[in-house]
Amino acid sequence: MSAEKPEEKAPAAPELSPLLEKVLARLGDRVLAHRTARGDDRIHVARERILEVVRILRDDPELNFDLLLDVTAIDYFGQPDDFETKLQVWDRNRATMRRLPQRRHELALPPRGSEPRFAVVYHLTSTRLAHRLRIKCRVPEDDPKLASVTPVWPAANWLERETWDLYGIVFDGHPDLRRIYLYEEFVGHPLRKDYAKHGEQPIQEYVGPGAKEPRRPH
Amino acid sequence: MATFSSANPWIAILKGLWVSIRHFFGNLGLFLRGRQDFAIHFPEQRLVQPPALRGMPVLAQMADGKERCVACGLCEWACPTSCITIYPAETADEVERYPEIFDIDMSRCMFCGLCEEACPEEAIIMSRQIEIASYSRRGSLWHKADLLVPVNQLKTRTDYLRRNYER
Amino acid sequence: MLDPERKNPAVPIEGNPAAALEELHTPPMRLQFGPSHPATHGTVKITLDLEGEQVVWSDVEVGYLHRGFEKECETGYYYQNIPYTDRLNYSSPILNNTGYCMAVEKLFGIATPERCNYIRVIGCELSRMADHMLCIGASAMELAAFTPMLYLIEGRELILDMVDSLCGARVTTNFVRIGGVSADMPANFADFARPRLDRALKLFEDADKLLTENPVFRQRMEGTGYLSREDLVAWGVTGPMLRAGGEPYDVRKVHPYLVYGELDFDVPVGEHSDNFDRYLVRLEEFRQSRRLILQCLEGIPDGPVDADDPRVRWPGKGRVFNRMEELIDQFKLVTEGGMPPAGEVYHAVEAANGELGFYIVSDGTGKPWKCRCRAPSFSNMSPLSKMITGGQLADVVPTFGMINMIGGECDR
Ligand code: SF4
Ligand code: SF4
Repeated sequence: MSAEKPEEKAPAAPELSPLLEKVLARLGDRVLAHRTARGDDRIHVARERILEVVRILRDDPELNFDLLLDVTAIDYFGQPDDFETKLQVWDRNRATMRRLPQRRHELALPPRGSEPRFAVVYHLTSTRLAHRLRIKCRVPEDDPKLASVTPVWPAANWLERETWDLYGIVFDGHPDLRRIYLYEEFVGHPLRKDYAKHGEQPIQEYVGPGAKEPRRPH
Repeated sequence: MATFSSANPWIAILKGLWVSIRHFFGNLGLFLRGRQDFAIHFPEQRLVQPPALRGMPVLAQMADGKERCVACGLCEWACPTSCITIYPAETADEVERYPEIFDIDMSRCMFCGLCEEACPEEAIIMSRQIEIASYSRRGSLWHKADLLVPVNQLKTRTDYLRRNYER
Repeated sequence: MLDPERKNPAVPIEGNPAAALEELHTPPMRLQFGPSHPATHGTVKITLDLEGEQVVWSDVEVGYLHRGFEKECETGYYYQNIPYTDRLNYSSPILNNTGYCMAVEKLFGIATPERCNYIRVIGCELSRMADHMLCIGASAMELAAFTPMLYLIEGRELILDMVDSLCGARVTTNFVRIGGVSADMPANFADFARPRLDRALKLFEDADKLLTENPVFRQRMEGTGYLSREDLVAWGVTGPMLRAGGEPYDVRKVHPYLVYGELDFDVPVGEHSDNFDRYLVRLEEFRQSRRLILQCLEGIPDGPVDADDPRVRWPGKGRVFNRMEELIDQFKLVTEGGMPPAGEVYHAVEAANGELGFYIVSDGTGKPWKCRCRAPSFSNMSPLSKMITGGQLADVVPTFGMINMIGGECDR
């Protein structure tokens, strides 16, 4: 497949959903980008401003995002962006009735961009107003740090511990950032794309009481 | 919702006792009238299973003793736990291909039925066999010869499946 | 608001705990509760510091059942991950199947036919009934009431019989497919289901009679495990626990999916936000689920059960056997998986314990780039430490029981 560049399409002016209109009016230039796809609204914010943004989202009576559903991360390992380019390639291939790209290397993608590797994703909802919003923050690989939202929602406590455990993203200001699923001696973060699925871990010597006693022969 | 007779908890306890006594005598009466299905005495008696039952996957054996499988490998590919191993070989028959080796590792199989759904030949079928315990791990590796089951013994399942064929 | 007649759950330790400790000269005793404790139906380790009978500090550790569900999903095709979702909340597997498949359908932009939606609702509500029966029965058993457990397990068997006749397995259902269900209902399913539903309800009512007015049960449940409505929301708690706190948040009502918008059911809410209200909410939800199933059996339309979408739904075998194009299609779909457009979706369903969401990121290939499960048990477990600290040791068991943590889902 030729390595042609996907043609630059002028992005059509996106229609704003009613929720995004409110969110954008309230947050202003704190929102780096926004998108409504398949009925889900999402905004991108800079990681330095996440705490500020979520405070506004929770406290504004028009928005009232009081329930934090989920915190997780995505590892865009070697992928240029949020697969938006890929979506364009997909559409173009479909339009020309070509075989759909099946394997990842067959996609004519631009080289890996300057976008940071990880994205931390928050899912919020409001119990009173029944709307959902997704916030994405890009976090670079060499400095995977982000302010913790635990002061805003205590629900983030375990969810951020899980994200640290599985992705190795550090949440500054988290009261108790320990691993939650895996043991403390575990090396690496298993949901990162460069962690092999069948990766093996070094065997941990048991050092507790009775460690030196001979095992019962079997 | 519930009404609480907080004035007298004894009444509540008596009510509860009445429930369990009713159950006791109800069951006793049924037993005396000959109801036997309180417990299934397993090896002698079997539970009546619905036609939808998914047991272990087996290979359909045709009247001439050969398998119907053409070793296309779709079931191997679809299996989420990769517990099927197929070595295809060629034959002079009309279908030209057959599996020389067809192994299913039953210790990994989770009876999900995706292999059956993927098979384009109705050759691998979820049988009604669910008793597959073995004394060793090697015993739960089933080879082609063990897996072959005559088609007419799989009729319940194939009838059930054919209901959905023309969707 | 807490009923003044009920005892206050979170009795704080009088005065300064440190000073009280010095006075008594007894260091707090550290107790390991779990990981496999007979009085908890889940594998979880709770570390407690006890001052007499009072819990002064606690730490909850989950993860004993972590199997790498999300990592596994990233290496399987979309259709291959459906059996894995059975193993999330293994007491209500069809709910998980439905949640996952609906998320993938949203990614593809598929609308499933009406009959399929009705069948999914029937499956979901059967699962919910089974889950609530197991939760109430197991919690009662942990409080030493064994008889209701036996009745409820008998009722659950009847419900699992129905699940069995729907999809051929009792627990590992693998029932829902992307764009449809694995098989249509059996022809006589309504006649098969109605007497069983009645019998299950009768057994349920008996367990209700044994438990709801029982003074011992009430004393252990009432007022324990209290968490205010604001705290519940802030800690991300959903499901019966949140509704017992007076917040009528139910995904089936708030974001109606399948045919819940057309069916008639009520969402019970509690007011005291304690374990007893959680129990009552579950009781009522069971009855509402039965009502939903009866409505579905009544109103289920005829028609196809599978979306006619060659991108993802495997063709019918009748055509695969006889026609070349469908055979090729079958080969393509099995070996490449259905390939959704790139993008990301979040879809949530109301599972037995709360909002079960699937967040799927697709890169345009047949395997998900990321498949995240927002497990209700996980979020519901996180305030456990807060709920039990300051209470009695004996209150840990009913509180944990009413959270209904399912290890497979919490630890994934
Ligand atoms: S039933 Fe499922 S796990 Fe077992 S062989 Fe078939 S596809 Fe594999
Ligand atoms: S899919 Fe069917 S025909 Fe193909 S190898 Fe498997 S059993 Fe044989």
